[in-house]
Amino acid sequence: MAEFLASGLLNGLAVGSIYALIALGFALLYKSTKILNLAHGELVLFGGYLAIGLTHFVPFPVAVILTLAAAAALGFAVERVIMRPLFGQPVLSVIIVTLALGYIVRGVMVGLWGGATRQFPTVLPTGTVSLGGLAVQRVGVYSAATALVLLVVFWLFFRYSLVGIAMRAAANEQLTASTLGVSLRRVFAYAWAFAAVAGAVGGVLLGLWLGVNFALGAVGLKALAAVILGGLDSIPGAIVGGLAIGVIETTIGGYIDAHIIYGFKDIVAFVVILVVLMIRPYGLFGTEHIERL
Amino acid sequence: MSARPAGDFKITYAQDMAVLHTAFYRWGFLLLVAALLLAPLWLGNRIFLLTTIGIFAIGATGLALLTGFTGQISLGHAAFMAIGAYSTAALTGALRVPFLLAVPLAGLVAFALGALVALPSLRIKGLYLAIATLAFQFLTDYAIIHAVGEGLGAISVRAPRIGPWILRTETAMYYLVLAVWLAAGAFAANLVRTRIGLALMAVRDRDYAAQVLGINLLAYKALAFGLAAFYAGIAGGLWASYNRLVTPEHFTIIQSIDYVAMVVMGGLTSVWGPHLGAAFVTALSQGLKVLTPMLIAIAPSFGQIATPLREIVFGAILIALLIWEPGGLAMLLRKLKRLLDLWPFSY
Repeated sequence: MAEFLASGLLNGLAVGSIYALIALGFALLYKSTKILNLAHGELVLFGGYLAIGLTHFVPFPVAVILTLAAAAALGFAVERVIMRPLFGQPVLSVIIVTLALGYIVRGVMVGLWGGATRQFPTVLPTGTVSLGGLAVQRVGVYSAATALVLLVVFWLFFRYSLVGIAMRAAANEQLTASTLGVSLRRVFAYAWAFAAVAGAVGGVLLGLWLGVNFALGAVGLKALAAVILGGLDSIPGAIVGGLAIGVIETTIGGYIDAHIIYGFKDIVAFVVILVVLMIRPYGLFGTEHIERL
Repeated sequence: MSARPAGDFKITYAQDMAVLHTAFYRWGFLLLVAALLLAPLWLGNRIFLLTTIGIFAIGATGLALLTGFTGQISLGHAAFMAIGAYSTAALTGALRVPFLLAVPLAGLVAFALGALVALPSLRIKGLYLAIATLAFQFLTDYAIIHAVGEGLGAISVRAPRIGPWILRTETAMYYLVLAVWLAAGAFAANLVRTRIGLALMAVRDRDYAAQVLGINLLAYKALAFGLAAFYAGIAGGLWASYNRLVTPEHFTIIQSIDYVAMVVMGGLTSVWGPHLGAAFVTALSQGLKVLTPMLIAIAPSFGQIATPLREIVFGAILIALLIWEPGGLAMLLRKLKRLLDLWPFSY
C-alpha cells in the first residue's frame, strides 16, 4: 500500500506537471480575456498531431520548433478571425464558439492524420529509472523536467518582459491597463498565442509519453479540472491544481480503478470538478466573485 | 417584430398576446401542420427523417426554455435524454408499465434529476454552471455504462403499445412522435407568455433584480432545469421506443453539443428556433451522410477526411452564425420575410 501510494505520488507528479503546463495556458487565457476555452484540449491535440506529422519530414527538434510556431500562429489567427468580432458577446456565445473551434481543429487534425494511436520516433531514452527505490518511466522524468523548466521560463517571462507585464496588468484590471496604454487587442492576441503554445507543448510531452491519438483532446478536460480546483483566475492555482489532479488521478483514481470499479481513473477529474464547485466554486486561490445589483 | 403588415390592428389584449399574431403566420402554420400530417405521402420511406427531427426538436425545445429563456447554460442535455431513455426501457421492460404511462413517468424521473442538478445553480452560474453540467454529462455516461447491461450499457426496448395497437411501422411511430412534438411545441410557446415564462425571462435578464421583484430564484431555476430535463426525458423515451435499442453512445457529450448547436443555430429566444435548429442539424447530418460517398466517388483521396467532415462543417457553420447572425435561423427567416414583404422597394 505504501509503495502504491509513493509510486502513485511520483508518477502523478510527473503527469501532473504536464497538466499544470496545459492548465497554465488555460488559466492565463481566462485571466486576461475572461474566455472559458473549451477548445483547449484540441489545442493540445493540435500540438501532438502536428509534431508527430512533421517528424516524418524533419528531425524531431525542428519539428517541435515548427509546431510551436504553428501553434502561436493558430492562436493569433483564432483571436483575429473568431474572437475579435465576438468581443463583448454573452458568455454562451463565446463558450459555443470555442466548442465549435475545437470541432474544427479536431476535425482537420483527425482528417489529415487519422484517429489511430501513433508513437513519436524514439528521441528520448526508454525504460524506467529508479528514484529512491521506485520505478518511474524515463520519459515521464524527462517530460516532468521539461514542464518544470518551461514553468520557470514562463514565470520569468511574466515577471520581467514588457509583454508579460502588460498581460498581467490587463488581467488585473482591464480598463485601467487600457487607459495606461496597454493595447487590449495585442494582449488578447498574445494570450491566445500563449495558450496555444502551452497546449502544444503539453501535447508533445504527453505524446512522447503515451503516444498520440484523438483522445488527446480529452486532456483539456483535465486541465479544466485543474483550473477549477486551483481557481479559474489564478496562475499559481493552475500549477498546484495540475499537480494535484495528476496525483489524485494516479492514486485515488488508480486505486478505485484497480480494486473497485473499472475506468474510474478517467472520470475522477469530473468528480473533483463537482466537489470543488459545490464547496468552493472559486477554487483554492481564485478571487471570490461578489455580485452587485 | 416591429414590421407588421399595415391594416393589421390589435384591438384586444388577446390579439396582442397571440402566438400566431398575423394572418400570414396563422395560414402558414395550418399549411405546415397539414404538410406534416400528410408527410408519409410525400416523403415515402424517408419518413424516418421527420421522426428524428421531431424527437430532437422536443429535446431542443426543452433546452431552449432553459438556455434561451432562463439564461442557464447546460452542456449536459443529452444526459437527461439518456435518463429518459433508460427509464422508459426499464419501465416498459422489467416493470411492464404501459407505454403511455411509461414515457411521462420517464419524463418525471428526468424532471426530478434536472431539478436536483439545478440546486447548485443558485451558488454557481454562467461559466461555472456550464462546467458543472459538463461534469454531470460525463458522470451520467459513466454511471450508465457501468450500471446497465453487460458492461456496455446496451438494453433492448419493447415496441410501444397503445391500447390494442402495437406501433411497429415507421409511419405509426411518426404519427406518435408528431403528436407529442406538436403538443410539446405548443406547450412551450404558450408557457413563455404566461407568468412562469415572464418570471423565467426576468431571471435570465438579471437574476438578483428578479429576486428583488419577488421571484423565487431557487424555485424558478429548479423549474427551468426540471422542465428542460422533462422535455429531454420525453425525447429520450420516444427515441428508445423508436430505435428499440438504447446504447449509451447516443447520449454522449457530442449529442449534448448537438443540442446546444440546435438551439443556437435555430435562434435562442424564438419559440420556432429549436424546431428550425433540430430540422437543420438533422438535415445537415443526413445530407453529409449522403454526400460523402458521392464525394469519395469523385475524389477517392477525400475518404480520409470524410469522417471528421461533419465536425468541421458544424464548427464552421456555428462560428459563422454566431459572428454574423446571433439570432440564428429564426432571425434569418424573419429578415428574409421582411425583405420579400418590401420587395422590390426596400423602404
